[in-house]
Amino acid sequence: MAHRWGMAVDLDRCTGCEACVTACRAENNIPTVGAAQAAVGRAMHWIRVERYWEGEFPDARLKFRPVLCQQCDAAPCEPVCPTYASHHTEEGLNAQVYNRCIGTRYCANACPYNVRFFNFFNPQWDKPLHLQLNPDVSVREVGVMEKCTFCVQRINAAEIQARSDNTALKDGDLKTACAQSCPATALVFGDLNDPESEVSRLSRSPRGSKLLGDLGTLPKVTYLERQSQA
Amino acid sequence: MENGTVSAVYGLFADPAAAQAAVEALRAVGVSTADITIISSEPFEHHEFSHRDKRTWMFWIAGVGGAVGLTVGYWLTRMTELAWPLPTGGMPIVALWPNLVIIFELTMLFAVLSTVVTLLVTAQLPRRRPRLYDPAVSEGRILVGLEDPRVPMDALARALTVRGGQLKTIP
Amino acid sequence: MTDATDRKITDDLLRPLQTTSAGFWMLVAFLGAIVAAGLGTWAYQMYRGFGVSGIRWPIFWAFYVTNFVFWIGISHAGTLISAILRLVNAGWRRPVTRCAEAITVFALMIGAMFPIIHLGRPWLFFWLIPYPNQRGIWPNFRSPLVWDFFAISTYLTGSVLFLFLPMIPDLALVRDRTTGWRQRVYGGLALGWRGTTKQWHRLESAMQIMAIAILPVAISVHTIVSFDFSMAPVPMWHSTIFGPYFVAGAIFSGIAALIIAMAVLRKTLHLEEYLHPVHFENLGKLLLLMSLLWTYFVFAERLTVWYGNEASEMAVFRVTQRGSFAPLYWTMVVCNFVIPFPLLALRRTRTIAGCVFAACSVLVGMWLERFLIIVPSLGHKYLPYSWGVYRPRPVEIMITISTFAAMALLYVLFAKLVPIISVWELKVGAQPVAAKEHEEVHALWRTEP
Repeated sequence: MAHRWGMAVDLDRCTGCEACVTACRAENNIPTVGAAQAAVGRAMHWIRVERYWEGEFPDARLKFRPVLCQQCDAAPCEPVCPTYASHHTEEGLNAQVYNRCIGTRYCANACPYNVRFFNFFNPQWDKPLHLQLNPDVSVREVGVMEKCTFCVQRINAAEIQARSDNTALKDGDLKTACAQSCPATALVFGDLNDPESEVSRLSRSPRGSKLLGDLGTLPKVTYLERQSQA
Repeated sequence: MENGTVSAVYGLFADPAAAQAAVEALRAVGVSTADITIISSEPFEHHEFSHRDKRTWMFWIAGVGGAVGLTVGYWLTRMTELAWPLPTGGMPIVALWPNLVIIFELTMLFAVLSTVVTLLVTAQLPRRRPRLYDPAVSEGRILVGLEDPRVPMDALARALTVRGGQLKTIP
Repeated sequence: MTDATDRKITDDLLRPLQTTSAGFWMLVAFLGAIVAAGLGTWAYQMYRGFGVSGIRWPIFWAFYVTNFVFWIGISHAGTLISAILRLVNAGWRRPVTRCAEAITVFALMIGAMFPIIHLGRPWLFFWLIPYPNQRGIWPNFRSPLVWDFFAISTYLTGSVLFLFLPMIPDLALVRDRTTGWRQRVYGGLALGWRGTTKQWHRLESAMQIMAIAILPVAISVHTIVSFDFSMAPVPMWHSTIFGPYFVAGAIFSGIAALIIAMAVLRKTLHLEEYLHPVHFENLGKLLLLMSLLWTYFVFAERLTVWYGNEASEMAVFRVTQRGSFAPLYWTMVVCNFVIPFPLLALRRTRTIAGCVFAACSVLVGMWLERFLIIVPSLGHKYLPYSWGVYRPRPVEIMITISTFAAMALLYVLFAKLVPIISVWELKVGAQPVAAKEHEEVHALWRTEP
């Protein structure tokens, strides 16, 4: 059976350390835009940790949640793209085809999770950071939209390898950069079509819910509610 | 003046009533209505002489053009959506409701274009070869005349000078 | 109608084509400089990258899309006015129709530039055109932006033809009154028109069909522009009222633009005998009607949102009503309703000056309305962590200003090259009514002949 990639985020385990943000940036060649541009809202964080304060001092509590592309099955960003740069793949991913993108930014407006980002300028990497670029991932030019792809380059590499080895992909063989780097294993990535996989098990958890689920986007990321009081 | 050397003869009239009188006079000397040319710088709906050539197929042609546009719109959207089927947003591959927008626009576009083409063809525009015309029409005169006259010239001259008409010929 | 009247009409309406003052050249130079600056600014934006604008996460549409909707809205003046008035045989449309149709064509051309200007990679805009290509891919017909492309292309084609066809007899008129290269140019454009009875009938039939066809197209165009917003799940965008709301707003701003254009033409081209206060009064009444209709739509939408109390919609509602956008919001309400309503409702203030003042106020208000539909919603979507504040940058302001200059420039050049009042249609209106019709009228109303 075809794979159906999904993710579970255990908010009880997440410490808000943002290792996932850094790892994603390194894996996917996301440019750093600089302090000035970040101050005017041009930062590109394919995964970000949203932070909300609750209550007043001394009872103030911090709530945070990593938000990334939910790879929605009824993604509102897909039908609005005039050039099919945003479309659904057979494995359930929302694909972003950089070459087709002409930069209307309609997809970014339609996305309720605000997980789509625009290249306002041609990205620059000061030396020696250019040596750190991942050769498996293209560098996007100015005017093109980008977003989390569930590390599709890793998915493709693993599937090709499995096909050539004539084996099946086992759960846990393939991890996205964020799931791989999370020190608390709060992020779990896997095949939702495999009922025995960790992500399938977690998405059936009674603590599980979907972000903005009532909008009808059918997201594939399940958030497990935080239960500890700390 | 002799017949056969004149390619067109006409009179210029100051107002539509005079032009009407000239048209009736021409009919009286045996010129058929289809041979009479009447040129003016504005249409005169209320006068009998302009009640000809009114029937037209243009409305039907516009309808046919619209039907062609509808077919083109339906085919374009359906064919392209099936040729490269890319799922988007959980919508069907051939999405009828969004396609209706495109189908509507192409229907109207083809209706408009077929109207304009019909106008150009039936009004014989653009026309390069000079035909019966006088720039005095732009000064407000109404031209009543005929090309290749077969009726004797003196009869025409009498008809075209009623009510102060100015007679002119084109050799 | 006497020969002298006929000649006077022709002379008066062709005079702007024949005499050119120094003021004209200065105006053209001034407007041309602003337009050139705007084009240069756009080139700078394409060269440096879209980041020179004020667009940012999550407000990805702002000034350019505001201008797009604004100018497409203005374009509804012409064709709607001249098509509707033509279909209901309103005689007072005759001096107004070409002014209005010209506004439509130029506003459409300017508005249609903005979907290109606001692209991240504008040099690839032609990918929206469905033609067989080696990319192996067609445009996505489910996307409202592709609907925009088709709708605006159809409307532009229809409007250009709607403007050009009744211009043909006037171009022939100018052809007969000029010499030399001008005569060749006008003669070419006039397509050899003579004015035979058959040609007049065909022209009238074609205009009738065009008027019937252009109405649903015009309504569909701004409905489709509204679909750019209502098809996205954004708070206070995803509203079923957007189609009619936008069309009403478009007609509203279009009539305002028409009033201003007519007043300026009347003053500068000395057309006082052709554009009478009654024309402005009639348009002023239409403007009042549209102001009331606009207010009704805004009230219906806002009451629904407030009553429903849905959290994300109320966030946007509050930020416009009482929050950071409140000054702009209430300015919009004053400009679109509070100022025009008394000015246009009271006959004493419904003068030419009163109508023009109300119209200017409406244009400001409607530009703000487009801005306030787009930016507050995008800045306050579902996840509060990602809310943002938008600030326009000089690039966007310059391009916005240059579009107004471009509209004025195109209009000034048009009025110089073509009679701005349709000569033949005016003459038809001035024809005496036939005696037979008088008898019919008297028989119907039982009045003394």
